[in-house]
Amino acid sequence: MTVRALLRFDNASARRGRLVPIFAAGFALASVGVALAGLSAGGAVVVQGFARTSISLLQLTLWTVPLLALLLGAVSGAECAELELLTALPLPRTHIVVSRWAAWTIALTISLALGFGAAGVVIGILAGSADVARYVALIGVATLLVSASLAIGLWIGIAARSRARAVGFAVLVWFVLVVGADLTAIALLSILPAPASSWSLLLLLTANPVDSARALGLGLFQADVVAGPTGAALHRLLGGPGAVLVLTGLIAWTVVPLRLAGLRFAKQDL
Amino acid sequence: MIELHGVTKRFGTQLALAPLTLTVAPGEIVALVGPNGAGKSTTLRILAGALHPDAGSALIGKRNVVTDPLQARRHLGYLPQRLGVPLSAVVGDLALLVAAARGLPAAAGPSALVNYGLGDRLDATLGEMSGGQRQRAMLALATLGPIEALVLDEPSISLDVDGADEVREAIRAAKRGGAAVLFASHHLSDVAQLADRIAVMVAGELVACGTLEELAASTGVAWDRRVMDAPIERIYRLLVRGRTRIQDAA
Repeated sequence: MTVRALLRFDNASARRGRLVPIFAAGFALASVGVALAGLSAGGAVVVQGFARTSISLLQLTLWTVPLLALLLGAVSGAECAELELLTALPLPRTHIVVSRWAAWTIALTISLALGFGAAGVVIGILAGSADVARYVALIGVATLLVSASLAIGLWIGIAARSRARAVGFAVLVWFVLVVGADLTAIALLSILPAPASSWSLLLLLTANPVDSARALGLGLFQADVVAGPTGAALHRLLGGPGAVLVLTGLIAWTVVPLRLAGLRFAKQDL
Repeated sequence: MIELHGVTKRFGTQLALAPLTLTVAPGEIVALVGPNGAGKSTTLRILAGALHPDAGSALIGKRNVVTDPLQARRHLGYLPQRLGVPLSAVVGDLALLVAAARGLPAAAGPSALVNYGLGDRLDATLGEMSGGQRQRAMLALATLGPIEALVLDEPSISLDVDGADEVREAIRAAKRGGAAVLFASHHLSDVAQLADRIAVMVAGELVACGTLEELAASTGVAWDRRVMDAPIERIYRLLVRGRTRIQDAA
């Protein structure tokens, strides 16, 4: 009863702003734009099918979704320090943190579903419905990434305590996850002996939620067909237990930061 | 009942609250007065669970706010000095949440707002309400349901004359209901009208606590209940300034 009331309260706040329709419109425009970006040999604009659109959109999703979710999570986490009225109610503070995470995860997932869904209808009408499952899988991967990035952002925001500091740290973490971790991976793989490198690659993929989402996305899309040798290598690596490990890692990137955020908030002075 | 036993709080190296011991009995109203930075809000925020004490114990109805926080807060009504929720929150949703958290029927939350003349603002966000409406809404929610302790930080702030009357009436109603009421205020007329006892704090220390008559006797101020405001201001100044002079000399 209390959990439902808390979620309803946070849900209403998350949806009250204009962020959900703005993000939905942004995702829809990006999807349609990517789908229209393919040029036929004759130079006329044609619409790409779901398979190629999904692969192209994956990269865009890996850059934008973590940034949005980290920033929203960080601001939402920093706001926790201002919830003196809620913390004076007989509610565990961890519930307050989990409720905020759930509300924003739901709001961003709705944005993704609306945006990609609207674009999907256009692509389906113009280019046919072949490989639509890959497109749906992209939304699933993006949702997992939203969930993990929001949890990390909340942890950052609660630890930082001020909006400005939280936003600064969130941008730094985004840069490390999206760019820095890849550079580290390349450096490590170049100095490690060959037999160790495939396991090292798997561990590096698991250690970064953005890379986990990338690997999972490419694996789901049978990237060996549409993403060349890189996709083929990933597909081989992710066969069987590798995919399970990466998926578990991505879920852990939600659970662990959320738990740490809850523990930190429970002990914190407001 | 509200009990504070040797409660201490530091912010870094700054001592915000020297060991503080204070009890508010059921059906009693105690006012905390003192200059800014005296430790009034720190005391109230420790009771509400917003701050953790460094030492000592704070109890609400015999339940420790640190070791048994959920039970302690189950019958606590709290009005913070700052709003304590985002301005984007819808007041009706907030009322439903407070009712659910206190184990009351869902309708109890909105009903409390209606009773405070906010029936037409249930769908408004706190940001869309005036300062006075916001304060009334917060007061309605603080006093929602059966409460054993009511803790209010500057309850009359940003209220007009009628609003201030409502606050005084809500505090008296809580007292009649058997709640222990502890409130901080700079409005000495409120203090004189409402408080059974007055606790004077300066620089984190409780420098005096007693009825207005007792404080008047201790400071040598002539006491006349018919002209209440004048003596209480004089008593306040004597107690606070006297203490400040002692600290300056030290």
